[in-house]
Amino acid sequence: MAIGKSVPMLDALARVTGTLDYMINLRLPGMLVGKIVRSLAPHARLLKVDPTDALLVPGVVAILTGADLGENAFYGAAIKDQGVVAVDRVRYVGEPIAAIAAESEQAAEEAAMLLDVEYEELPAVFDAQEAIQPGTPVLHENYPNNIFIHSKLRHGDLQAAFAEADEIFEDTFTSPLAQQASLEPHVAAAQWDGNGLTMWTASQAPYMVRRVVAGILGVEEKSVRVIVPPLGGGYGGKGHIRIEPLVAAMARKTGGQPVKFVLSRAEEFVTVTKHAASITLKTGVKRDGTFTARQVTIYWNGGAYADASPLLVPQGMVRSVGPYRIPAVHVDSYGIYTNLPPAGAYRGAMSSQTTWAYESQMDIIARKMGWDPLEFRLKNLFVSGDQFATGEILHDVHFVECLEVSAKGLELSPSPGGRGVRGEGKRGLGYGVMMKSTVSTSKSQARMKLADDGTVTLFTSTVEMGQGAHTAMAQITAEALGLPVEMVRVVGPDTEVTPFDSITSASRSTNMMGNAVMATGAALTKRLIELAAPLLETPPEELRSENGHVVAEEASISFTDVLKRNGLDSLEELGEYATAFKVDPETGQGVSTPHWHQGAGAAEVDVDTETGRVTVLRYTAASFAGRVVNPRLAQLQNDGNVIFGLGPAVMEEIVLDGGQPTNPNLADYAIPSIRDIPAELVSVCIESEQGELHGIGEMTLPPVAPAIANAIEDAVGVRIKDLPITAEKVLRALREKSER
Amino acid sequence: MILNVNGSKHKVRTETRTLLDVLREDLGLMGTKEGCSVGMCGACTVLVDGKPLSSCLLLAEQAAGMEILTIEGVGSAENLHPVQQAFLDEGAFQCAYCTPGFVLTTVALLNENPSPSDNEIREYLAGNLCRCGSYQNILRAVKVASKSEAVKVVLKP
Repeated sequence: MAIGKSVPMLDALARVTGTLDYMINLRLPGMLVGKIVRSLAPHARLLKVDPTDALLVPGVVAILTGADLGENAFYGAAIKDQGVVAVDRVRYVGEPIAAIAAESEQAAEEAAMLLDVEYEELPAVFDAQEAIQPGTPVLHENYPNNIFIHSKLRHGDLQAAFAEADEIFEDTFTSPLAQQASLEPHVAAAQWDGNGLTMWTASQAPYMVRRVVAGILGVEEKSVRVIVPPLGGGYGGKGHIRIEPLVAAMARKTGGQPVKFVLSRAEEFVTVTKHAASITLKTGVKRDGTFTARQVTIYWNGGAYADASPLLVPQGMVRSVGPYRIPAVHVDSYGIYTNLPPAGAYRGAMSSQTTWAYESQMDIIARKMGWDPLEFRLKNLFVSGDQFATGEILHDVHFVECLEVSAKGLELSPSPGGRGVRGEGKRGLGYGVMMKSTVSTSKSQARMKLADDGTVTLFTSTVEMGQGAHTAMAQITAEALGLPVEMVRVVGPDTEVTPFDSITSASRSTNMMGNAVMATGAALTKRLIELAAPLLETPPEELRSENGHVVAEEASISFTDVLKRNGLDSLEELGEYATAFKVDPETGQGVSTPHWHQGAGAAEVDVDTETGRVTVLRYTAASFAGRVVNPRLAQLQNDGNVIFGLGPAVMEEIVLDGGQPTNPNLADYAIPSIRDIPAELVSVCIESEQGELHGIGEMTLPPVAPAIANAIEDAVGVRIKDLPITAEKVLRALREKSER
Repeated sequence: MILNVNGSKHKVRTETRTLLDVLREDLGLMGTKEGCSVGMCGACTVLVDGKPLSSCLLLAEQAAGMEILTIEGVGSAENLHPVQQAFLDEGAFQCAYCTPGFVLTTVALLNENPSPSDNEIREYLAGNLCRCGSYQNILRAVKVASKSEAVKVVLKP
């Protein structure tokens, strides 16, 4: 059995010796340096973008401006509102106005300074709720109220259900703009060969890049080849389309010379962000501890272009309800244009914001009603067979187990003492549970090739970004074929040789690609057995594959010999796995996901009442993992979610001044270091006997922030509703409380 | 200008450039990574006379005459350093963009303090960031490496 073993990452040696070839290492003969000239204004008409002087700089090869672009040069997941570079108008600080390709960094920088840009500034709006008021600046004339998507969920008679409630709670919770902050920035290179393009990019979505880039260049998809080396982190920030359209257009303009763009850290902060969100929950409860109704209103700040938001805002709607039995639920989820950089997926996409809201309100309700927050959750959590607000019946759900395991974790070990807390340190416990859909409609294909030396190559477009996906796929391949994992090699993504995959995101790969690999392996095994049957003089149904051999009761033959004796050099199979679920756009009723991602967490915090400083002493997390492929890698993901989640919970926020980020660097925008992790952190993967393969790249992340906020209220009786939970906010709340 | 890198001398251009750029672009030592460019993330850590420093903040000239150790000088796939072996055995990485920096900082830590406590490890490694969040395994790897006999041999380029 190759599944269930902690096989080291396939390229672990390269990872510990620093020899793994990330995009930043790519060098091509004659490669030019690309540089982007970005808008200094949050909203302006471009009166002039004149490259004349910049083109005179020695070493400058080409400059791309809006004047070069045709009708094809606009893109977006559903709304094609974003130009390869700005055309006539800019809508956020940092928007690309022009791109420069030069023989050296210095030449590119000099040219960037000489590019003649004249702006006529327009009024700008940065807050989503402000942007929908009458009279505020309009970003795109087709959307006069700045709302580019409104997703609706309508389940049950809301007013009647609220009328049945004994108490109604209404609270608003906010999450600020944040940055994915992979240590490897966005990097892409491309070369135009006269008919088509080869692109190398650190992207989570190679086939999406191929489709969009082909559209922009006006060539067939097969004329674009997209190669993705291992990523130095993605976390959603490299999902969908980022710098690739600009890099492709620039490569075409240089007329064959390859060009490479590496973004600076400051550019990262204006390339993609986590959606800032304001979420209002109105929830009706009865004195017996059950729910009657919930109304959710969400304003997602999408930034200046719709980007992937038309896909994410509907998911945010489904992800905003929470894992509890509530008979009547209405949700309105709005995607709104503002003069900020486009927002995209951020690890635990949309669920981080929604879980912050519904899990914080769980404790507000429980405390007001005099119930134990843990008991209140356990009483109402979904179990298999329950109906969700979309109308779908839930299967294989383990929310109760996830929460119980998390809560138990804190009971089992004593609290570590003496952490040098100043003032009056007070401790508290808090919990969080999350329920997240994955991509509803998507497809994964896998190709497998058995060579006559007995090795197998898996061709897959799943992106290896540190999560260990290629190692897991090798294990699944080995399992499906009955082969030692050492005999499996993984290739890809390279759209020339690896077949289609929708995207590496939303914890979908282990499930979707895993099932595609299983199916492909089963087909290949079947053919091997059919070829071996005459050789073993045994009917196929009495044969099985094991350890690189086709095995009968008393005889066996190696895969190598099966091929050789049939005169074959190799044997190949292509397989796929696809899902196509959808909900009604007017009511949100239907099936929203192939399966549910489930996670929980329990925090013990210490609050220094003199400074407001919060220390997370202990944290236990649990996720439902179906069937774990690689326990070591699963634990790394599970732990990693919690550690990543500490960032948006207590420290991360992009601070803006007139639409300009004032902390676009890792000195002023802090992400968790080893000193920030709890003294004790335990994460558990819950498996079930017939469990399917699940991805687990996010499950334990969204509960972190509300678990900490709930623990703070448990400790000192103050409630923080706006992320991040900084010492300053806690201290202010403590002072307000003592003044009351 | 001459730079002493991983035990050998290299003649490099003396323009005003960072040590990071010279290592990567001139010497092709790609293990050292740029992460934040302001000395906060530690991805570009190298040892300069045994001290972990951010090569993005150093001009190459400032390292003239000093012994520079990069990840390439620590060990190779055929001959892993005990710290690298411990990182591998404990699975102390995910995307591994930060790993060379962590390995070098750990080498420096164990040279200075062969048996660090949990808190000492946390303090010393606080300047290296891992966005994937592999810190628990990194802590374990440092502890395992500290118990290795071989690691006590002070690493000199």
